[in-house]
Amino acid sequence: MKTTLLLIASCVLMQAQSYRDLKYPPLPEIKIPKIDTVALPNGMQVLLLENHELPTIRGVALVRTGNLFDPAAKIGLATITGSLIRSGGAKGKTGDQLDEELEDISASVEANIGESSGTVSFNALKGNADEVLAVFRNVLTSPEFGDDRLQLLKTQALSGISRRNDEPQGIASREFAALIYGKDNSYGWDSEYATIDSITRADVEAFYKRYFFPANTLIAVTGDFSTPEMKSKIEGLFAGWTVTQEKVPPFPAVRRKASPGTFLITKTDVTQTTFTIGQLGGTFDDKDYPALQVMADILGGGFRSRLFSTVRTKLGYAYNINADWGANYDHAGLFQISGSTKSASTTDAIRVAKREVDRMRTEEVTAAELDTAKQSVLNSFVFSFDTPGKTLNRLLQYKYYGYPDDFLFRYQKAVAAVTRADILRVAKVHIDPASLAVLAVGNPKEFAEPLTKLGSPVQEIDIAIPEPKAAQAQASGATLQAGRELLQRVQQASGGAAKLAQVKDLSQNIETQVDPSSGGLKALQSNRWAAPGLFRQDATYPFGKVSVFFDGTGGWMKTPQGEAPLPEAQRNQLAGELFRSYIPLLLSDQATNRKVNLVSPGVMEISDDRGNSVRLSVDMKTGLPSKEEFQAGPTTIAQEFTAFQPVEGLQLPSAVTIYQGGKKFALVTVKDTRINSGLTADQLKQKP
Amino acid sequence: MKLPALFLCTALFLPAQDLQEFAKKVTEFTLPNGLHFIICERHQAPVVSFHTYVNAGAVDDPSGKTGIAHMFEHMAFKGTESIGSTNWPEEKKALEAVERAYDRLDQERDKGPRASKDRVAKLDEEVKAAMDKANTYVEQNLYPRLIEENGGVGMNASTGEDFTNYFYNLPANRVELWFLLESSRFIRPVFREFYKERDVVREERRMRSESDPQGKLIEVFTSTALQAHPYRRPAVGWSSDIENLRLSDAEAFFNKYYVPGNITISIVGDVKAAEMKRMAEKYFGPIAKKPLPSPVVTVEPPQEGPKQALLEAVSQPIEFIGYKRPDQYDKDDAVFEVISRLLSGGRTALLYKDLVRDKKLALAAGADATFPGGKYPGLFLFYLMPAMGKSLDENEKAFYAVLDRLRKDPIDAASLKRVKTKARGTLIRQLDSNSGLAQYLANGYANYGDWRRIFTDVDDIEKVTAADVQRVANQYFNEANRTSAWLVAPKAAPKSAAALEGAAK
Repeated sequence: MKTTLLLIASCVLMQAQSYRDLKYPPLPEIKIPKIDTVALPNGMQVLLLENHELPTIRGVALVRTGNLFDPAAKIGLATITGSLIRSGGAKGKTGDQLDEELEDISASVEANIGESSGTVSFNALKGNADEVLAVFRNVLTSPEFGDDRLQLLKTQALSGISRRNDEPQGIASREFAALIYGKDNSYGWDSEYATIDSITRADVEAFYKRYFFPANTLIAVTGDFSTPEMKSKIEGLFAGWTVTQEKVPPFPAVRRKASPGTFLITKTDVTQTTFTIGQLGGTFDDKDYPALQVMADILGGGFRSRLFSTVRTKLGYAYNINADWGANYDHAGLFQISGSTKSASTTDAIRVAKREVDRMRTEEVTAAELDTAKQSVLNSFVFSFDTPGKTLNRLLQYKYYGYPDDFLFRYQKAVAAVTRADILRVAKVHIDPASLAVLAVGNPKEFAEPLTKLGSPVQEIDIAIPEPKAAQAQASGATLQAGRELLQRVQQASGGAAKLAQVKDLSQNIETQVDPSSGGLKALQSNRWAAPGLFRQDATYPFGKVSVFFDGTGGWMKTPQGEAPLPEAQRNQLAGELFRSYIPLLLSDQATNRKVNLVSPGVMEISDDRGNSVRLSVDMKTGLPSKEEFQAGPTTIAQEFTAFQPVEGLQLPSAVTIYQGGKKFALVTVKDTRINSGLTADQLKQKP
Repeated sequence: MKLPALFLCTALFLPAQDLQEFAKKVTEFTLPNGLHFIICERHQAPVVSFHTYVNAGAVDDPSGKTGIAHMFEHMAFKGTESIGSTNWPEEKKALEAVERAYDRLDQERDKGPRASKDRVAKLDEEVKAAMDKANTYVEQNLYPRLIEENGGVGMNASTGEDFTNYFYNLPANRVELWFLLESSRFIRPVFREFYKERDVVREERRMRSESDPQGKLIEVFTSTALQAHPYRRPAVGWSSDIENLRLSDAEAFFNKYYVPGNITISIVGDVKAAEMKRMAEKYFGPIAKKPLPSPVVTVEPPQEGPKQALLEAVSQPIEFIGYKRPDQYDKDDAVFEVISRLLSGGRTALLYKDLVRDKKLALAAGADATFPGGKYPGLFLFYLMPAMGKSLDENEKAFYAVLDRLRKDPIDAASLKRVKTKARGTLIRQLDSNSGLAQYLANGYANYGDWRRIFTDVDDIEKVTAADVQRVANQYFNEANRTSAWLVAPKAAPKSAAALEGAAK
């Protein structure tokens, strides 16, 4: 202390002034640059903004797509497609060639598909702008999806999965999203070895084609150019891009499902617990969003927040503690309080943080807190406009998500009007203490108090990574031979390979009774299959009739709501169904693109070169199939075959019990079966 | 070498032109007490970025007190006598009482086996009571709050081995607030809530180093590679050192290293240089001139043979490989930079092309030319993260083959030219952001005595030849000069991890 006093003595009489005495001149009015908007004949919209400060030009194409559209069986497809669009080469040039050409001129073209948007962007020095714009156009409109780079991306994705449990913060954010959104939909699920393994070049190409078309694309360019010149350049570049596609449907809706309680992921190699407390958040266009944002800011938004003051400064419990009212443009985000604290103080730190959340709901914030929070938003407003690029990008986002151009100004006004009563009201309305989930990643052996002290039972979450199916089933000459032999035994028991091969079509009327625990629905279905791979289903459900036709690549669907081409999810599902069609499945050893591999006694894995795979178990007494198992997204589906009956000299099951994730889902009973009734493609295609 | 430079003219500015153009916007001055200011006027928007670079970092931590430079950085947000206190005279007394109570506690504890447990417990309670008392005078986090409520954004600070920096941005009409706040924290900081903040820093260490396998490995690697030089210690400090830091340690560090001649400040944005000078004189002028601190004297002894370390952690495998290199003032500094850019960064980098793209052995493989700092001799660092099912052995083998080629064959002209072109493009893009510029300008002056370093750096890179690359690779990338640290799964790890580990060996 002595030294400080000496130092202070040596520099006395410095500033008499206090921060309270400072007077600030008004800030000059914010100048908002003028952005030119051009609509091209092909339906593409273009935003242009000149900025001559540096000799560079940057731009981005924003495409309505996203990993929210991932099929359940191929989670990771959107992300891989996004990368492959650029890295897989374009218009006659390989990815390697593009890499060198661009880096040779210190330029970049990148592509990416995120949660609810896709982008292709470029960054060029002015002198090379034309060259780079051409690459940008080629990547956006003519990607070639080079197979070597697809294999690289898949390897990288698999490696990423293998490393996803190495670091606690990553585990916490991934598993918290899964907890709140649910793991059975694209908001909450994650790619797995199996879903990455199944992705083929054809999948990537189809995904790209579905979403990348002019009417689905917005382009923004900023930098050192003249607007009329850039306008005609872009028009020229994209004049030939005229592909059309059906309008892209809205993203799937978020299901409001509460997962209250305390969840634990045990990780023993850490000295600190990483925790998250929260629930579903909201969207930017909710009228309560400004008040909620101020609320979250006071709760845990910065150095001045309540959580920072209590959990960090007063208690010294955490380095990292914050709250965020997770809002998004188009779907509810996650309201979350995240922090990390030494193992011993885990339960208390969570308790204190929860208490702060409760306080938000039970008493008004102070006038000073509200004032600080508002001042912070209003005074920093200018930073939203400090570069022309920010203004352009914001406008682009607003256009993409259908927000008004002046949304930010409306928000600013709304923040200025927020009252203490508003904050209490929105906290009460939007935060439900009964539905708050608490997730802790840490080593419970070192917690000073068990998590149960928080008032609810602790549910353990297992984050073990499901082993890749392909890797489990090591194939060798011997196991492949044994697999074929087992399948041939099944053929024999079913009536003989020759008889099976004579089946050219198969029609069945079936009754499906869904288990009461899954809704108890009952349906009557007529299924018709014809070689080599046509499928038609006409079903009667309580809500009406649904007909589906699929020819292996596309088809249609007719419901009481109308008629439409098969959506991707259904196409993928039906492609799996066709692969598993009973008769061709039993003849898999005769198909050149199928492998039959014995994985354990009486169990063979049948797979094809498109990533389909099923495990078929055999009743070794009868030689007939007893069960098949396959993966549908994260869920394992099992079907048990029973009640075999003779049909035209073949033994076919007349009852199938379906299990989803180990839980009984439905019982299917075959009412009648007809073979070789002479079904034609036209008959199957004919709409009801 | 003439030809590529001419070619570049068509696409890019020559740096000399850039520099002349840019220099018109820059004003610099040194106050009589030695504090240096660099002002860059950019009037595109009414905002300003501030960057304070203190030429002192973790490398200067006294032995047994690792983490003190970083600890001081945290204390620099705790306010002053007039900012953050409800009653300074009383708070001052209370803070002194905490120190006295802590002295008594230390005295008893220092007796070791002869210390009385009861007395330690009692004295510990007294320390806590004194701290509680002192806390009653604290207006918590007022200092950062003032910045936030005045529209400050991007507020933060960081402590490296070589430096400590403090930075944020304000609307242009609030520039004087920065002068007032920044000068006061470096003239009369108050070290309030020191021991709670020490807990916070301890949590920071748990997060960055103890609960993250990569964080663990980098500590093992660095302290294996360097045997004597203080670069071997983590910037955040060893846990036992942090837990015993005292307020007087932070004070001593502050008094020795936070002297005006050791500080560089840059201001970039919508300001007028003349006005900045006037305010600098008003607010920072009164700080007394003090002698500059001495640099670190410990010199790392020569390495005689390869070193290896093995860390067991529940994680997929990672490896760090380092070769000793001279400091950033060495004539070959630009050659190291070129080698790093040839090997790592971008899709044409040699390590990416070989290990990641073609052989699919690695999820990532890259380099850092200057680790963990540049002011003193340190390391040229490489990292390898095997792809799933691939081993560290396979990765190492491929990696050493890439280095061998660099030693054996001169690098092709196209690759070398590409690296140089990219360096220029990067420079131009760096001029885009106020906060980025503020950082580069201050770094350049503090480390090399001239803010123009950001431009001349590119000239130095331009001069590097294929022969230079080969010569430096041969001189430094030798087994005897190497340290490698492996992270592998423990023996009793879950099956899949164990299988990978088996593959790694």
